[in-house]
Amino acid sequence: MYDVLFLLLRRFRAPLITLIVVYAISVGGLALIPGVDGEGQVRPLSIFHAFYVMSYTATTIGFGEIPYPFTDAQRLWVTFSIYLSVIGWAYTLGSAITLANDMTFRALLARGVFKWRVGGIAEPFYVLCGYGQSGARLARALDRLGNRLVIVEPDAIRAARTAIQDFATSPLTLVSDARLADVLEDCGIRSPHCLGLIALAGEDAVNQAIAIGARVLSPGLQIVARAKSEGARINLESFGGVEVINPFTTFAVNVGIGLRAPAILQLEEWLTAAPGSPCPEVPPVPRGRWVLVGFGRFGSALAAMLDREGIEWRAFDPLNHDDRERRLLRGDFIENVLRDAGIAEADVLVAGADVDAVNLGATTLARRVRPDIFVVIRQNHMQDRALIDAADADLKFVQSDIMIHECLQVLKTPMLGRFLAELRAADEALAQAAIDRVRAEVGDGAPRAWTFECDVLQPGMFGAFFQRDGEPFRIAHLAADPTAPPERLKVAALMLERGGHRQLLPAADTALKPADRILFVGDAVAQRLQRRYLVEPGTIAWVCSGKEPPRSLIFRWWRQRE
Amino acid sequence: MNLEKVIFGFFIIFACTLNFGFFIGDIERVELHHPMELFAAVVVNLIATVLKFGDRTQLGATHLATSLVASFQLLAASMVWVWQLYVVRGPVDGHVISIVVSLSGGALLANLFSVILLLGETIRQGR
Repeated sequence: MYDVLFLLLRRFRAPLITLIVVYAISVGGLALIPGVDGEGQVRPLSIFHAFYVMSYTATTIGFGEIPYPFTDAQRLWVTFSIYLSVIGWAYTLGSAITLANDMTFRALLARGVFKWRVGGIAEPFYVLCGYGQSGARLARALDRLGNRLVIVEPDAIRAARTAIQDFATSPLTLVSDARLADVLEDCGIRSPHCLGLIALAGEDAVNQAIAIGARVLSPGLQIVARAKSEGARINLESFGGVEVINPFTTFAVNVGIGLRAPAILQLEEWLTAAPGSPCPEVPPVPRGRWVLVGFGRFGSALAAMLDREGIEWRAFDPLNHDDRERRLLRGDFIENVLRDAGIAEADVLVAGADVDAVNLGATTLARRVRPDIFVVIRQNHMQDRALIDAADADLKFVQSDIMIHECLQVLKTPMLGRFLAELRAADEALAQAAIDRVRAEVGDGAPRAWTFECDVLQPGMFGAFFQRDGEPFRIAHLAADPTAPPERLKVAALMLERGGHRQLLPAADTALKPADRILFVGDAVAQRLQRRYLVEPGTIAWVCSGKEPPRSLIFRWWRQRE
Repeated sequence: MNLEKVIFGFFIIFACTLNFGFFIGDIERVELHHPMELFAAVVVNLIATVLKFGDRTQLGATHLATSLVASFQLLAASMVWVWQLYVVRGPVDGHVISIVVSLSGGALLANLFSVILLLGETIRQGR
């Protein structure tokens, strides 16, 4: 706000001085010119009266000649003063109006208001840099989940869209470049309420600058950045403390898992789907020959995955054709090239060009030759969604889908992300076991995921570990219903973290230790009831023994005496 | 020679000298303190204050503060005068003029600080 004040003061220097001089001349002159009072004596107006007369004359209010009728000499002077003061006021008001229309001033004012409002947020919020396709969808998803948002977008037209989209609580938007450190600070990244920063700008270099700036300014902050190139990803990851998501590689890795162990992919999709949705059917991806249409960032990410899996592929692209192994053809997206790439012998077509019409065309052409070909299609623009859906591909790549999926996973339950990372390295049988366990314990709808932390600073956990004897505290106890212990909550434990050690699918009788963290999945009721073990002392003891332990010191002493 | 410096220095010193001119003289003798001189002091002080607007340095802030103090004190002095003449409707006697002059004395002190700051700045810059 100080910037606004200083700009005001600086801009108004000249008009204000003009006004003071005009008033000084008029008032001074009027006080010097001799007048006649009620008794006919000659005496000038006092300075106070002169100021009074000039105040209403200069503002063209005009009360008349006070306190006595003026002499002609005084009238002459007042006439002169009227013109002088009107010029003075016109100049001042003109400057004020110019300033109000001045873009610099408006931007400064908007920035001041933004900073002031961000400072006033007293609830958890996320800072989102970049409001493109992915940004807009992620903003809506975070809003639905009940988070406030602070959005920074350099493009004024895009930023204006935040005002017309339906948000539960309207986000605070600033039109500015988040690469600037002062902009980042004004966004409130140092605020204790700031949960994290998500950099989804169009260019990798911008995201890199934002993430590094935010990391330096607020070291403990959770930062998620998108990097479309591997170079940017490696750069950011080496900087540390930043979660980097490359939508192309993420998709390619997922397809790779689908090739190797479909159950892992199935579990992953299920656990990160909206709660309640059925376990998705993952179509088995054929291991035959692949044909890639378009060899940009998307195509090359898939090709790298295929190389790792040892699968034969052919690709073509109108620009990119630098390939020693002659697997990459140069060609426009036309039928002959598709034939040259060997579409007749291919099992999979990846329509991955950055033009939706080309992808749709390639799909149609390929299906004409091989009606049962497995199609992976890329959707570039949200407007083409209906067209891409109509193509009925087996797998669909939508960058913003991947980004939202990954961002929410990282932001909402980081432990679920770690579990999935462990799972990817594990084998198919384990994933199948996890699916079976969740199905048996929770049901067929996609469960919620949360972390239970054995934090001994919480009254419930302190009681469980230190104020109790008898059998050790086990995972199974956390799955019992705290209102009726023989009943079981609809929960399943998926991972146990102890220090740096992670155990997938821990057994129910695993004894717990302080500071252990358990990843649970289950329904909303179970999540709410399970919190009681944390916040209410004695709940664990009651579940173990069926007896409510004494709460106060005296009763505890009494019980020990018995 | 910098014209801005000339104007700036002129108004600051002029505000101080006018203030001093009004202040000097026996504190209780009305005829030694002319209202026109007080008026001029108020006007020049206001101009000096506005000239200091928008300087973001630490010294600029102190400058502005001293000028604001001087302006307020002088305005208060003129208000006392006006009140006695037109609200109380009594003559401006020794008691009233001593209040007015002592208020302007406070303003003079603030104006002196202003001049000292100006000199200090000039000496420090050394060019």
